[in-house]
Amino acid sequence: MLLRDCPVISKRKPESMALFAVFQTTFLLTLLSLRTHQSEVLAENLLLTPEAFKVSVNSAQRCLHLQWTVHNLPYNQEFKMIFQIQISRTETSNVIWMGNYSTTVKWNETVHWSWESELPLECAAHFVRIRSVVDDARFPEWNFWSSWSSWQEVNVQDSTGQDTLFVFPKDKLVEEGSNVTICYISGNIQNDISCYLEGEQIHGEQLDPHVSTFKLENVPFIRKGGTNIYCEEKQRKAISNGTVLFVSKVLEEPKDFSCETRDFKTLICTWDPGANTALDWSKQPSQSYTLFESYSGKKKHCEEKNRCNWQITQDSQEIYNFTLITENYLRKRSVNLLFNLTHRVHPMSPFSVQFENISATSAVMTWKLHSLGDYFTLLCQVELHGEGKMIQQHNVSVKANGKYLLNELEPNTEYVAQVHCADDNHFWKWSEWSGRDFTTPEAAPSEAPDVWRTMKSGSHNVTLFWKPLSKFHANGKILFYNVAVENLDKPSRLEHRSIPAPANSTELTLDGCSYQIRVTASNSAGASPAAVIVVPAAPGNKEVEEEIIEGTEDGFSMSWKPQSGDVMGYVVEWCDRPQDPLCDFQWKKLGPNTTSTVISSDAFRPGVRYNFRIYELSTKRIAHLLERKTGYTRELAPSDNPHVVTNNLTSHSFTLSWKNYSTKSQPAFIRGYHVYLKSKEEQCQPGAEKAVLPDDTVCCQYKIDNPEQKTFTVENLKPESFYEFLVTPHTSFSEGPSGTFTKVRTPDEYPYMLVHVIVPVVICVVLLVCGCLLKSQWMKDKCYPDIPDPYKSSVLSLIKSKENPHRTIMSISDCIPDAIEVVNKQEGSKIQSLGTRKSLTEPELTKLSYLYLLPTEKNYSGPGPCICFENYTYNQAASDCASCGHAPVSPEAPPSQWGLLTSSENLLKALEKNYMNSLGEIPAGETTLNYVSQLASPMSGDKDSLSTNALVPPPCSEYKMQMAVPLCLASPPPTENSDLSSITLLGPSEHYR
Amino acid sequence: MKVLAAGVVPLLLVLHWKHGAGSPLPITPGNGTCATRHPCHSNLMNQIRNQLAQLNGSANALFILYYTAQGEPFPNNLDKLCGPNVTDFPPFHANGTEKAKLVELYRVIAYLGASLGNITRDQKLLNPSALSLHSKLNATADVLRGLLSNVLCRLCSKYHVAHVDVAYGPDTSGKDVFQKKKLGCQLLGKYKQVIAVVAQAF
Repeated sequence: MLLRDCPVISKRKPESMALFAVFQTTFLLTLLSLRTHQSEVLAENLLLTPEAFKVSVNSAQRCLHLQWTVHNLPYNQEFKMIFQIQISRTETSNVIWMGNYSTTVKWNETVHWSWESELPLECAAHFVRIRSVVDDARFPEWNFWSSWSSWQEVNVQDSTGQDTLFVFPKDKLVEEGSNVTICYISGNIQNDISCYLEGEQIHGEQLDPHVSTFKLENVPFIRKGGTNIYCEEKQRKAISNGTVLFVSKVLEEPKDFSCETRDFKTLICTWDPGANTALDWSKQPSQSYTLFESYSGKKKHCEEKNRCNWQITQDSQEIYNFTLITENYLRKRSVNLLFNLTHRVHPMSPFSVQFENISATSAVMTWKLHSLGDYFTLLCQVELHGEGKMIQQHNVSVKANGKYLLNELEPNTEYVAQVHCADDNHFWKWSEWSGRDFTTPEAAPSEAPDVWRTMKSGSHNVTLFWKPLSKFHANGKILFYNVAVENLDKPSRLEHRSIPAPANSTELTLDGCSYQIRVTASNSAGASPAAVIVVPAAPGNKEVEEEIIEGTEDGFSMSWKPQSGDVMGYVVEWCDRPQDPLCDFQWKKLGPNTTSTVISSDAFRPGVRYNFRIYELSTKRIAHLLERKTGYTRELAPSDNPHVVTNNLTSHSFTLSWKNYSTKSQPAFIRGYHVYLKSKEEQCQPGAEKAVLPDDTVCCQYKIDNPEQKTFTVENLKPESFYEFLVTPHTSFSEGPSGTFTKVRTPDEYPYMLVHVIVPVVICVVLLVCGCLLKSQWMKDKCYPDIPDPYKSSVLSLIKSKENPHRTIMSISDCIPDAIEVVNKQEGSKIQSLGTRKSLTEPELTKLSYLYLLPTEKNYSGPGPCICFENYTYNQAASDCASCGHAPVSPEAPPSQWGLLTSSENLLKALEKNYMNSLGEIPAGETTLNYVSQLASPMSGDKDSLSTNALVPPPCSEYKMQMAVPLCLASPPPTENSDLSSITLLGPSEHYR
Repeated sequence: MKVLAAGVVPLLLVLHWKHGAGSPLPITPGNGTCATRHPCHSNLMNQIRNQLAQLNGSANALFILYYTAQGEPFPNNLDKLCGPNVTDFPPFHANGTEKAKLVELYRVIAYLGASLGNITRDQKLLNPSALSLHSKLNATADVLRGLLSNVLCRLCSKYHVAHVDVAYGPDTSGKDVFQKKKLGCQLLGKYKQVIAVVAQAF
């Protein structure tokens, strides 16, 4: 039950009834005296009952305002009274609240009291009654309760329709986190009704059949536009009505409230206002802020919600007691602040910051301050910043203008100097910073550049390298490097060379003399000290064996043994990127007493081999190679296997070669190789071990421990067998990847031998054939020369002129026959067919005819020339003439008769006379010639003929020309009398030329 | 009543700038005198069609902006809260004559103009930060004013109709916030529905 929110008007004095009161008081006193004596209590109860009891309603604030008077009190006296109030809801018997209200009451005074209902008053009718008792020690006899007043009904349900759903309260403003009771009045609506808050159902209790109430506890702030609460009729599926609950954020107490002055004219008070409690629909504006100063009694409404300016008057008020009050419709809060004005001085920021006398290492900073009066001393803080960080900080106590000398500055450096000040006597706050930047001028470089060199072996080319000076030592922008070369062996002019920055190397071509090289770095202010290095005439670098060192991720730790006592120091050189052509040459110089160091570089990578050279620098500044080191920061497993070539493949062995495999460019030290061999054989050869591969296959492993051995011969293999091999390098901790095996098949033994025999033979044959083809004409001339065409003979022209043009006859003058032997071997049936006189051109007559021209033994008197020829070309026609046999030529025929033979008849006669039996049957006009070539090899049958004829082979087969013999004459049937040995026709004496 | 005077009445005065515009106007006889302040646009019907199309194109966006700004339960209970059951909305018959349609359109626009004025006023108080909604409401009201002028011009110039009886929606100034939200949502739902029919009818 909230009583504080409802306005309560306590008492009021109606003066107009004073006269009546005099009489009444007199009457009452009379009555009292009577009561004292007569104890008439009942009547007095009635007299003290509150009268003129009225109840009014403020439904928006859910308040009942009660007012009443107590008439029967003595005039002009105050009585302490207690009023007891009962409030019922819905019906008089349902008392929901009863309480006492104590106050002092005068005669006929109207008393006011308010009561706030947690339930909206529209939700139900309320009934109120009151009674009183005098609670005053002066009148103990009146200490009894009066009678109850009559019930006063309060009902604000005036405009509600019976068929409409109403939700109360309407547009209520509440504070976040508070508890709110709402209700709906359903009138005659009988449907089931559900209510929701922003979509979530809320559950309540039924006040009567038409009214339900919902207690919402700790209501949240959802939006400035309010929280929607609505009720839905389930059957109609309609949202009949609702209400909007405007939930305000809780008004917060202002935080960090403080006031200060910067000029003793205005006090600036600031605070953190917290959340804005403004709501839409003008339900609540933003909270207001008011500043109240208790000493002066002044008040100021603040326009801004987080600051307020207070004008300082000239009455020299030092102490201020401020109260900051904030309020909204629901709440009011305040904070207090008591302070001395002089302790809250926040100086204005310094101005006109300047720098004077800026040198390479110092500068004077000056600034000005806004005056706060002669009695104020300010503490100023000067800060010097360089490269983004504070370098120096100084405190200076000043009155009006400040000045400070900044020392220990670096040349050619940009600085920022800033200053801020505060009250030195009562520190309150620093002012804002004021500052400026400045740059110190350049100075000559303070240190010689770090110089080193590389020398190509066998030449006098020297490459000088130098490292750029650090900013600390450069003292400005290095413009160029000066290189001065001086010949130490013979007096000569210094050679100067100026190399513009940022170059970091130069190449010098020297002769065989010793040289001293001096390198300086120069900026606009001057040159640095010189770095001196001596290049001897003969480098004299001895061969130094390379030592393997083990690196780590942090670098390479190495040590060396000094060789001579007088050393200036040591130099370790290496390449950060040894695989690159430029290699990123590096060096590190060490003192004379150092014999070990750790070389580290961000460029070092695992699996890269780094080579280090350690030089000793003599006091004459000559470098001698001391040691060589090589190693990896971390060795990696080889990523590639060698590319292997198979050589010398035989039936029992083959050779593997990987000579192009570079061991020095591998990601680890190669310790050797493993050769894996797969075969169908279960046993490994001697020198091999069985090994199980990652895929669980078993093979033979040959180990090669020499990394430079890059060939391997696998022996004792079987012919015509398949083998698979893999060569992989191995390091101290792993081996190369398990790559693909290469297949090899050993060849058969015999084909191998055959190849060695057949190939040369074939080559020879081919060469021979080619030779023959190239010399075909020569071969033809030698082996089968052309036979003259008898048809083209001059004899024919003679015959043509006299006889039948078809008659072909050899000119005797063109032939020098020694002997003519006509051989004819024909089947008997074909001999018989001669009588049918078939034409020579008929195809079935294809039997060969041979005509041998041989000297007869009898007539052959010496080693004269002989002729024996056969030509199939000519023989063709003759052999085709089945009707004609070989015509034996009589050797007795005189040479003159050959002239007659130009006539077929004569020739026929000559032949007929000695050897022929049936010549007369051959017509003269059908005679043809049959040529027998000497070079034509006789057929087997012909050989038989030769043997049967006992023909003596001529000792010489040379002939000068061929001779045509009429076919029909040259083929007599082989009779018993006609022995072939007897057909020698010509003796040496009949040899014509 | 102060709210009514501050919101609806100025709007109506703007809509009916002529003398006597605040009171319902009877349809004058066809041959009655009818004068327009400015000559009507030559292509008046096209302009009316374009304005209707413009309103139809933006009606749904306005509806969505509105119910979204009201918060729950509006976006998820459109059928229960924003159904187009506005009982006193002027009728419109799409199959009537052009004159009848124009007269009905005039009533519809007048009704909508007044209601939109109420909604705009309420929303500026209730949702002062919903700037896009305010902008859309203002733009719609602007087009409605132009359309009303054009329709009246057409009625006057072609059909010699100088006065049309109009009716306005219920006064929402005395309603509670929830009822204002709900009535505005119902009105905009109805507007979206009607303007589609009207745009199609012309």
